[in-house]
Amino acid sequence: MGKKQVVVIDYGMGNLWSVASAIRFLGAEALITTNTKEISAAKYLILPGVGSFRRAMEIIKQNSIDQAILQSLSQSETKLLGICLGMQLLGSESSEDGDTQGLGLVQNTVRKFTNTADTRLKIPHVGFSEVKHDSNTKLFGGIPSGSCFYFVHSYFMGLTPDIKSVATCNHGTEFVAAFEQGQVSGTQFHPEKSQSIGLKLLKNFLER
Amino acid sequence: MLSRNFRLQKVGDIDWLEKNYGFSNVGFSIDELIVLDVSRNPRNRDEFSEVLKTLTNDCFAPIAAGGGINSVADATKLLRSGADKIVVNSALHSNKQLVSELAQEFGRQCIVASVDCKQVKGNFFIATNNGSNMTDLTLTDFLKQCSDLAIGEICINSIDRDGTGNGFQIELLDCLPKLFEIPVIISGGVGNYSHLAEGLNDSRVDAVATANLLNFMGDGLGSARSQLVNLGIDLPIFDLH
Repeated sequence: MGKKQVVVIDYGMGNLWSVASAIRFLGAEALITTNTKEISAAKYLILPGVGSFRRAMEIIKQNSIDQAILQSLSQSETKLLGICLGMQLLGSESSEDGDTQGLGLVQNTVRKFTNTADTRLKIPHVGFSEVKHDSNTKLFGGIPSGSCFYFVHSYFMGLTPDIKSVATCNHGTEFVAAFEQGQVSGTQFHPEKSQSIGLKLLKNFLER
Repeated sequence: MLSRNFRLQKVGDIDWLEKNYGFSNVGFSIDELIVLDVSRNPRNRDEFSEVLKTLTNDCFAPIAAGGGINSVADATKLLRSGADKIVVNSALHSNKQLVSELAQEFGRQCIVASVDCKQVKGNFFIATNNGSNMTDLTLTDFLKQCSDLAIGEICINSIDRDGTGNGFQIELLDCLPKLFEIPVIISGGVGNYSHLAEGLNDSRVDAVATANLLNFMGDGLGSARSQLVNLGIDLPIFDLH
């Protein structure tokens, strides 16, 4: 068997280079592409992303990338990982820049961190923070709960009972640090920027 | 002065950097890496981007890059060469429009504002263009305007302390407004781990930066990090055992 091929979706936003470089480091092949045929045929899909939710969804829809993602997920062996904004895009909607609908693969909404009278949060939430998880998720296999991952974001996915297998982080409020639901998973943090622990998580994604 | 062996090193030479650092190793001593093109001659973007790619290959830590960023295209080039964040300095003052354009394109969390400060008669003033151009803007006034700027982090550097190894100019932090939402990085002057600890123990500081411990002090970074952990400072542990 040849190398596993991971399709990294290029919609013009985000640090594709680092994601691809981490995939290659792990011995798989990384294909950075905007091509919907390649996306819909993928077995391993990564949706990266940094930037505005609204803009990202506009580009994704204009280029029919949303349809291609759905098509690739119709093959039961396909796995999808959304990273940072990419994870948020998997949810139903975001209040960033006016309400925008997401891909709707999980029922979840995205809100902005805000300070109240008695909080003094730094916004964006930047840096390595502890992630708590339930040990039976595949993504976190071999990674102790409480390990630190690198975050950089102003918006977060709130916790809802709708998603199971959630890893959480706290920045003034508990939020979704990562989730795993069937074929679809996401991390708010950047595993490709979280040193060896991040690489371990990506390796788990490739092996599950 | 601790940076005494300047003449022995080709600062900025990629082969030297690779041979002596091996960023994939140094990566485990740092939370993030900042790479700046401080060329005084007209900058060669392509060359810097290539350097960045080489430098960041197999380095799985966040990377901020900058130096003379004048357009969205400049930023895009760096973001496509391994950078996660863009450091903007002179343009914060000369091209405010660019800061909003960058934020629209990449999100404000992608922008690290960097200010170089020099003390003149008790006040801290901001200098631009690699520190060569003194402005009449005080750090205090600049920080007041910051909430209107679409930036994700601010790095406050002391020109007076930079390269001395005498410790941070902690008084710079007195210029911060009471409620300041943007994460603050302090930079300039680190000579040993206790300086890093002084910064990290100040509640106004979110991160500390050093070039000195990286460039001129052998395995300074690795040992500084373990000293800080021994002091009980809460730093992430990267190694999986």
